[in-house]
Amino acid sequence: MGIGSIVLDLASPVLEFIAPMAPGEIFPYFFTMEMFQRALVAAILVTVVAGVLGSFLLVRNLALMGDGLAHVSFGGVAVGVVLGASSPLWYALLFSVVSAILIHEMQTRELLTGDASIAIFLTGMLALGLVVLRVFGGGITSDIEGYLFGSLLLIDKESLDLIATITILSLISLMMLYSGLLSTTIDPLAARVQGLPVRAIGLVFSIITAAVVVSMVQVIGALLVTALLVTPAATGQLVGRSFRSCLIWTQFFGISAVLLGLYLSAEHDSGSGAMIALVAATIFAVVAILQVTWKTVIRRADNWN
Amino acid sequence: MQPPAVDKMMTQTTPILEIKDLSVSRGGKVVLYEVDLTVRKGEFIGLVGPNGSGKSTLLLAILGVLNPQNGTIDLYGHKPMSRNTHGRIGWVSQAAAVMPKNVRITVRELIRLGTLNSKNMFFRRKSVHREKVDAAIKMVGLEDVADNDIARLSGGQRQRAVIGRALASSAEFILLDEPLVGIDREARNSLLKLLDKLCHDENKTILMVSHDLAAIRQTAHRMIYLEESIRFDGVTEDFPDLTTLAGLRGIEPVHGHAHEKKEFTPTVSESDGTLNRNMEEE
Repeated sequence: MGIGSIVLDLASPVLEFIAPMAPGEIFPYFFTMEMFQRALVAAILVTVVAGVLGSFLLVRNLALMGDGLAHVSFGGVAVGVVLGASSPLWYALLFSVVSAILIHEMQTRELLTGDASIAIFLTGMLALGLVVLRVFGGGITSDIEGYLFGSLLLIDKESLDLIATITILSLISLMMLYSGLLSTTIDPLAARVQGLPVRAIGLVFSIITAAVVVSMVQVIGALLVTALLVTPAATGQLVGRSFRSCLIWTQFFGISAVLLGLYLSAEHDSGSGAMIALVAATIFAVVAILQVTWKTVIRRADNWN
Repeated sequence: MQPPAVDKMMTQTTPILEIKDLSVSRGGKVVLYEVDLTVRKGEFIGLVGPNGSGKSTLLLAILGVLNPQNGTIDLYGHKPMSRNTHGRIGWVSQAAAVMPKNVRITVRELIRLGTLNSKNMFFRRKSVHREKVDAAIKMVGLEDVADNDIARLSGGQRQRAVIGRALASSAEFILLDEPLVGIDREARNSLLKLLDKLCHDENKTILMVSHDLAAIRQTAHRMIYLEESIRFDGVTEDFPDLTTLAGLRGIEPVHGHAHEKKEFTPTVSESDGTLNRNMEEE
C-alpha cells in the first residue's frame, strides 16, 4: 500500500462528512466516489505544496521556473509514452530534476543569468518530446493531451502514490528548509557569512521545485502549472503583512481556487485544470482591484484631511 | 558627537583581523594592491575612498566571498569563511539596494534570520532564539514597528533592521557597506549614534564603508583612505582636512607603484563633503 492510498484512507471519512454540504449535482461526487476523491485529494495536496513553493519562487524572481520545468516534464512524458512506460511521470521526474539541476548550475556559475537558461531548457526539452513523439510515436496523441491540460479524473492509484510521495516529502523538506530558504532568498551574502550552505540550499530547492512540478502536471496540466504555483502566492502577497501570513493567505486562495474550480468545472462540464487556473486568476484580479480601490479611497481621505 | 577618545584604541591588544600584502584583481584590473591592515577588538574604523576604489572588494575579501590572488587574511586566527569565523562576523548590506522588493517580511522575521547557522537551520525552537531576537530589536530601537512589513518602513528603519539581523547572530565584528545611503539626516544621526553605542557599550568592532566623509569623521576612531592601496591609515584626528585632501590633487601618491598609470585626484564636492573621484583617463 502506497502513501497515496494511506492519505486517501485518512481523507475519505472527512470528505464523506463534508459531502452533504457540497453544492451542485455532480460536485458532491468529489466527496463520495473513490475516483473523484482521489482527484480531490491529489488536487489539494498539490495546491498546498505549490503554495509554499510559489511563495519562495516569487521572492526569488523565479516565477517562470515552474512553467519552464512543466514544459520540460511534458517532454519527459512524451518520451516515456513512446517508450511504452506504464507511468510516464517517472520520465517526467527524471527530465525535470536533471533540468532543474542544470539550470541552477548555469545560474550560479553565471553562464547565463536570469530567465535565459530556463527558456533554453523549456524549449529544448519540449522540442525533444515533440520530435520523439512524431518520429517514433505513431498515432499516440490522446494520452498526451491529458498531460498538457490536466486529467484530474484519470489519476489512478499509482499516480496518486507518486503525487502523494512527492508532495509530502517536498512539504517536509520545505518546512525544514524554511528559515534557511528565507535567509538565502532575502540576502544570500549575509546567509553565506552566517555559515549557511547557500548553494546547497539553492540546489535542493531546485530539485524540490522540479519534483513538485511533475506532481502537478496530471492535476492541472503542464500548460497551467503556474496557475497553482504562482497565482495564489501572488494573491497572498497582496494581502499578507508578513512572510508567514502571506503563506497562510496563499493556502486560502489556492484551496479556494481548487474547490471553486472543481465545482464550476463539474457543473459546467469544462476542463478542471483550465477552470481552476481561470478561478485562480480571477481571484487575483478581484483582490488586486479591491486593494487598489481601497488604497485610492484611503489616499483621498488623507488628502481631504 | 565628539571624536572618541584615542586611549580606548591604544589599550586594545588582540588583533582580530590581520591582512598582509593583499592584492586582488577583478576582470583583469588590479583593484587592491599590497594592502596591509590590522584591526583590533573594539575599534570603530571608517573606510573611505572614491567609487571603484576597492572598498567593497576589500570587504568581500574579508568576508571570504572573494579569493585574493596574493597575500593573506587572518580573521580570528583563521581563514575567512571558515567554520570558526561563522557567527562572529556580522555583515550589514546596504538595505536599500539588497532587500528584494517583492517580499512581505516583518522586522522580527528578518532579525530572526540572524540567529540561523548551519547547525540549527533544520530544526529550530523559537523560544531559544526569542530572547536574542527581542534584544536585537530593542538595541536597534525598532520595538514599535517590530511586526510591520519592512517595505513600509523608512530607509533608516530598514537599515536598522538589517543591523539588527547582524546583532541577533551575536557577531563581534560588524562590517557595514554604505549604511548611510538613501536615508535622511535625522535617521543618519540616530544610526551613527547606534553604531557608536554598539562600539562603546557592546564592545563590538566596527568596520564601516561610506562615502560620507563628514559622518565618518564624527564617529570613527580610525580612518582609512583606500584607493587601490591604503593611502591613509590613522586616528581620525590626523585625517587630512577637506582642503588638504583637495590639495592632494595632482600630487603623486607617496607609496607610488610602477603599475599605477592613472592619476589619482580626489576632490570634495562642496555640497555635502562627499568624496568624488576626478579621474583623468590616460
